[in-house]
Amino acid sequence: MSVDVQERRRFTAALLGEDAAPPPSGPAPQVVRGVAVHITAHMLTVATLDGEERFLFERTTSFWRGRDVGPEDVRVGDDVLVRCGGTGRWVVDRLWAQLGRVTGTIVSADEDAVVVDPGHGRPRAVAVIPYRSSGRMAVRHPVLEPGYLFDAVGVRERGTVHTTVPVTTQPPRPAARMPRRPPARRVPSAQSGIVTWYDPAFGRAAHTDPRAHACGAAYPALDPGSDCGPACDRSEPCLPLPLLSLGATVAVRNDDTGVSGVYPVLNCASAAARFCDRCREASGDASGRLAELTLPAFTALGGRPEVGCFAATMEAG
Amino acid sequence: MTPAELIQIQPPLVALLLLLGAAAKAVDRTGGGGPVSLLPGALHRPASAATALLEAALAVLLLSAAGPVGAAAGWAAAGLFAFSAVLLAVVRRRDPQMNCGCFGGLSTEPVGWRTIARAAVLAVAAVGAAVAGGGGLQALAGLTGAQAAVGAAELAVLAVLSPELREAAVRVFGREACAVRRVPVRRSLARLRRSEVWRANRVVVDGTDPVDVWRHGCWRLMRFTGRRNGRPVDAVFAVELRGRRPRVRAAVSDAETRVTLAVLGEVAEEGGAPLPRTTGGAPQATGTVVPTGPPAVPAPSEGAGDEGAEQERGGGPEGAEEPGGPRVPRARVGAHRAGGQASGPSAGISTGNGAGASKASSSDR
Repeated sequence: MSVDVQERRRFTAALLGEDAAPPPSGPAPQVVRGVAVHITAHMLTVATLDGEERFLFERTTSFWRGRDVGPEDVRVGDDVLVRCGGTGRWVVDRLWAQLGRVTGTIVSADEDAVVVDPGHGRPRAVAVIPYRSSGRMAVRHPVLEPGYLFDAVGVRERGTVHTTVPVTTQPPRPAARMPRRPPARRVPSAQSGIVTWYDPAFGRAAHTDPRAHACGAAYPALDPGSDCGPACDRSEPCLPLPLLSLGATVAVRNDDTGVSGVYPVLNCASAAARFCDRCREASGDASGRLAELTLPAFTALGGRPEVGCFAATMEAG
Repeated sequence: MTPAELIQIQPPLVALLLLLGAAAKAVDRTGGGGPVSLLPGALHRPASAATALLEAALAVLLLSAAGPVGAAAGWAAAGLFAFSAVLLAVVRRRDPQMNCGCFGGLSTEPVGWRTIARAAVLAVAAVGAAVAGGGGLQALAGLTGAQAAVGAAELAVLAVLSPELREAAVRVFGREACAVRRVPVRRSLARLRRSEVWRANRVVVDGTDPVDVWRHGCWRLMRFTGRRNGRPVDAVFAVELRGRRPRVRAAVSDAETRVTLAVLGEVAEEGGAPLPRTTGGAPQATGTVVPTGPPAVPAPSEGAGDEGAEQERGGGPEGAEEPGGPRVPRARVGAHRAGGQASGPSAGISTGNGAGASKASSSDR
């Protein structure tokens, strides 16, 4: 179904009030995504939707390409995500190159690669588990068999993601045997849980694809009666999230940084509904996934994509 | 009364819990929760059925058999509960989200210390049943006040340790919160079409099916295309998904200029700026709405008509259905109409004069 998310939000605000559908936050000026076209030890040129932009490196600037690297390891043509320091848009605080993530249910697996189904509406993804990260992956994902969940961050290379960090501890049962959520008499207006990220552009054409720059969220409790549709394969999330549709706006606050933003629901996060995990590197013990933010939105809230998640409080509906 | 006499209440009490657990497991089609989840998937259903049978057999023996057989049943039940407590601790450590499966589909809460403590308490009670030597039916026949008091106290402790009671209460006395409850679109559409808001604005709408449907927690919103005074408009209706008399709201927006022409009985400012709202999402009272007064027979020229009468009828129960958020003063549609233009059933949006100067749409019903 083709959906005008802005119109939905406008009508929702008109009928239910601005509080029910607050206007979304704009893109954060400190976060830039694009394709690296030139890089030296002191400067980076990135092709973005608005043309080429130049950024400077400081001694404190850090770089990630599967692991912490130096500027010489970032290659021309890489899909880069840049977070600038302070309030300006000149000096790079941290740079991520070729970020990729595979989240979903394992469809098939062989020795060093797994095919993962991220749920309806998204293509299947291939995760390659290199030898150097296989030990780390095996600790958190001991069962690489069809039906089990998988979630890892890595580097995109030739259409696959070479995983380096497992984001979560794999549940010890297949996704189909998830326990049911207890009934909820009341739904709190603000819920605590974790927020993860996803890339609607799949790392391709980050300089021209508007999806790579979208600030929005994929929501795990889309209404099955409208947007989720007959092909809906999402399960009931373990948190009592209110049923919403595309175009609704959710207010998300990073509990660790205190930064908050309002983002429109742009996609279904059916895979996120299957996880009921905690964020290992976040404070607090809230569990359950509230939403998947796009990379620019996740980074704007202070999230570290290589960690994969942060503890958050979300107001929706 | 001596302790030996007091523990005579244990066999029937333990048998009652065993029977409840067996019955709940027998009717549960999901299976696979609790200690059973430690087994391979293919063994979940057989293991769950075998557990239910074992529990039922032990309960029958505790009730009917006395002497060594009854005592053996008590010891077996004690072993079963103690083993369950250990396995539940293992399940909790291995899979924190897994339920205990103790009472089949009613046990949806993740395994917690309450559940493990309950199994331990039941193991102690089963030891008492073994010492008493079974014979639960005989004990029930000669039940004394002291034994009943001990049994009631024990049941109270078990109730405190049982998260299943909360789920049973939700299932019996109420439903899930409207924000998470699945409601078919056709039911929302049927409710909309039964509403006065729909009837009052039906003339604006082209066709009968919405061009867009979306959900916002306890509300379902439906957008229809239509025409008003020759101009294309979007008529959007919001139907509440709770209560027998759900509230229905409407807004009409010019499809080209996107100016909100009318919403909830109020006239929007030119340019479509949102009206001031309360925290509950309801519009604040403005000069364009008049709180409903005592029922009165409207003069024909004032044009309250059917809609006004419907709003009068819907007054009482509706207020009772809206615990959250302040109420909207119900508009008497047409009460402030200039020159008494609109009248009767045509008092909806369709009778307005043009963009930015429409009449009231309607109010909650």
